[in-house]
Amino acid sequence: MRRLIRGILFIIVLSAVFGAAVHFPLLRRFAAGEFREGFIERREYAGIRFITLAETEDLFAQRTQGAEGLLFIDSRGRGDFAAGHIPGALNVPLDRLQRSRKTGPGSEGTGTFDFPGAHTLVIYCEGGDCQTSISLAKIIHDRGYKDIRIFTGGWAEWSAAGLPEERSP
Amino acid sequence: MIRNRWLLLLFGVIVGGVFIWAGALKIADPLGFAQSIKNYQVVPPGLAFIIAIVLPWVEVLSGAFLIIGVFKRSSALLISLLLLGFIGLVALALARGIDTSCGCFGSLSRRADLSLILTDAVLLVFALSVFFARTPRQNH
Repeated sequence: MRRLIRGILFIIVLSAVFGAAVHFPLLRRFAAGEFREGFIERREYAGIRFITLAETEDLFAQRTQGAEGLLFIDSRGRGDFAAGHIPGALNVPLDRLQRSRKTGPGSEGTGTFDFPGAHTLVIYCEGGDCQTSISLAKIIHDRGYKDIRIFTGGWAEWSAAGLPEERSP
Repeated sequence: MIRNRWLLLLFGVIVGGVFIWAGALKIADPLGFAQSIKNYQVVPPGLAFIIAIVLPWVEVLSGAFLIIGVFKRSSALLISLLLLGFIGLVALALARGIDTSCGCFGSLSRRADLSLILTDAVLLVFALSVFFARTPRQNH
């Protein structure tokens, strides 16, 4: 039994040493405060930034004052979106899109990832641990959009702050 | 208990091979794997990052040791424990209605669903067969 446990500990310690050696640059960046909000490779996704509620409010105010090229995207499901969303946001439900891409193009949802006239995209999901905003941001970034802001507080933070809401029928 | 030496060897090669392959794909994309762990919503992001750095090497080393016969029983037990953990994690995700990719094979991962639990269960049977096998010459 002791040999069994010793063997397991040896494998785990050796793994930690190899992992730390191979990914040492990543560990340094993590220690410096990177990857706290999402595991996005900055060099690969240079156009994606995480923003706070205050920054989102600021962008929302700019949009309501007529700023062009600014689009809010809600990556939650249709039901959640219909129940309440940031006014003027476009619903791009990631789960449906992923399924529709498997069954063929154009079968369901906004499958083109084309947002005419938009150059700054603000993406949000439910907030908390939701990840669809990050996943969607990566896909859209790969399609050529290079100014993408992820509002990590998401819908939960927006509605809790008592900010304007819109419902769909 | 399975006593056939060749069958046990085959089980070890299958489980070890799958673990080496799965671990290598994750080593190639540690951030992607960290994101997959985070998606399960079980551990905080910092711990997800540490797991993403260490766990793939545990898979590769235990898989390799299982095949070459060094620390064979320790590796088989470790792999069995990992598989039990994976099964529990996927079952928990299903029970909580979390729709996520399993993260098991890096970018080649599939959805965390019931068929994944069955696959892991088969691998668990193979790993436990190797662990409980009593052969004349035993390493650890």
